[in-house]
Amino acid sequence: MIKFDKVNKTYGDYIALEGVDLEIKDGEFISLVGPSGAGKSTLLRLLTREELPTKGGVLIDDLNVVEIPDDEVPMLRRKIGTVFQDFKLLTGKTAFENVAFALEVTGASEEEIAEDVPQLLQIVGLDKKFNNFPNEMSGGERQRLAIARALIHRPKIILADEPTGNLDMVNSYDIVKLLWKINELGTTIVLATHDREIVNTVGRRVVTIENGKIVRDQTESGRYII
Amino acid sequence: MIKRIFATGWTNFKRNSYLSFSAVGVMSIALILLVSLIGINLLSDKTIASLQEKVDVSVYFKLDANEEQIGALRSETESLAEVKSVEYISREQALEMFKERHKDDLLIQESLGELEDNPLQASLNVKAMEASQFSNIVKSIEGSKFSGTIDSINFFENEDVISRIQAFATNIRNWGVLIMLTLGLIAVLVTFNTIRLTIYNQRKEIEIMKLVGASNWQIRAPYIAEGTFYGLFAALISLAIIYPVLYTISDKIEAFTTSTNLFDYFVRYSYQIIPLVVIVGIALGVTSSFFAIRKHLKV
Repeated sequence: MIKFDKVNKTYGDYIALEGVDLEIKDGEFISLVGPSGAGKSTLLRLLTREELPTKGGVLIDDLNVVEIPDDEVPMLRRKIGTVFQDFKLLTGKTAFENVAFALEVTGASEEEIAEDVPQLLQIVGLDKKFNNFPNEMSGGERQRLAIARALIHRPKIILADEPTGNLDMVNSYDIVKLLWKINELGTTIVLATHDREIVNTVGRRVVTIENGKIVRDQTESGRYII
Repeated sequence: MIKRIFATGWTNFKRNSYLSFSAVGVMSIALILLVSLIGINLLSDKTIASLQEKVDVSVYFKLDANEEQIGALRSETESLAEVKSVEYISREQALEMFKERHKDDLLIQESLGELEDNPLQASLNVKAMEASQFSNIVKSIEGSKFSGTIDSINFFENEDVISRIQAFATNIRNWGVLIMLTLGLIAVLVTFNTIRLTIYNQRKEIEIMKLVGASNWQIRAPYIAEGTFYGLFAALISLAIIYPVLYTISDKIEAFTTSTNLFDYFVRYSYQIIPLVVIVGIALGVTSSFFAIRKHLKV
């Protein structure tokens, strides 16, 4: 369970989030929608402790993300898989090594890595790209690689920040299908996007944010309405 | 774990070949500088030592001084801690040496032939451990109970030369150390900066690693391993340059300074010099990487 409790975030005079109250249950597939700059990304960055709220609490299960000490932040991030618009892949590492790295940091053995990584790359359809570097791959392939990396340590939560922002319609649809499949296996998905087509395809719960406030929360077969 | 860190470091080293090349290049120059400074210091020490070797004090005896008195003074002088050696030159030897030195000068040869007696004095040539100790030695000789047999001591003529050599020696050592420290510092700063730029180029990667949940040590360790490889290769390259260069030039240097053969010295002490260069190289690479990455670990 994820819970935002009266969260405020300001940058100087600029108000990014104001009084955000939001609860996300385990296994939910939730779309955060709203125009650019509405505060979607900020909300996700609070969950990974890239940002701290100016006021309020952020909870994952019983863990208050705001209060954990700096040296435990890596532990938090290993429990959450993240997918970004700009992929954030390690350009100096091959597809295999990118996924393996996320597993290495958890202290996994060579055997585990040799077993899990190829399996997962196969699931996301990159079984022929093991030794390719990210710049040798298409946008869709890179994003599938990023998803494989986010999944490798079997997180309970996947945060996807505009994952289709750099992709065409066909590739975007592939990514959404992949997220769907992951969700069916029980992982909570938080998808931040301003892509109307994507949101309307997904249905499910849709939360609309505007100017740092939640203005609408459609819990069933939501639509993109602004 | 360690194996994985070094494997990753080695892979990064190979893949960032351009950056690795420049970092290794700069570090090689730093290490060559270090070794040449050691060489220069050594050379100046040896040169000064050989100059000091040539400085001595001569004690001339009155013509009527007998061998026993001279012998007693000699053993008295030899027992002084500051004295390195004492050489006795009898009147006859002095005459032989004088004749030998002027054998081509007919006028002197003829004049000597006309003399009935040997006009030359017996003398003791005293060498000191260090040039600064001559004045003490002279004082002890003058205070001896056999000082009555002494005609003159030429220390006072040499005093000027001796003190100048001393000042020169101290100067070279002091300036040598100062220059060594300055250049060493510059070399370390340049190396540090090169590695900093290398890591700065990868700041995005570091940020991503943090987002994936890597701890600071998990990020740092491969970079430090990479720094180890920089240092190791820089050490090997600089040694591969230093030894052949020394082999070529040390004969010329030897002819110039008449002191010691640098190449022989470096070969003889290679069991110390090679590990020193390798250790300094690796230490430089590791500390530079350590400090350069510190800044980027706050995400």
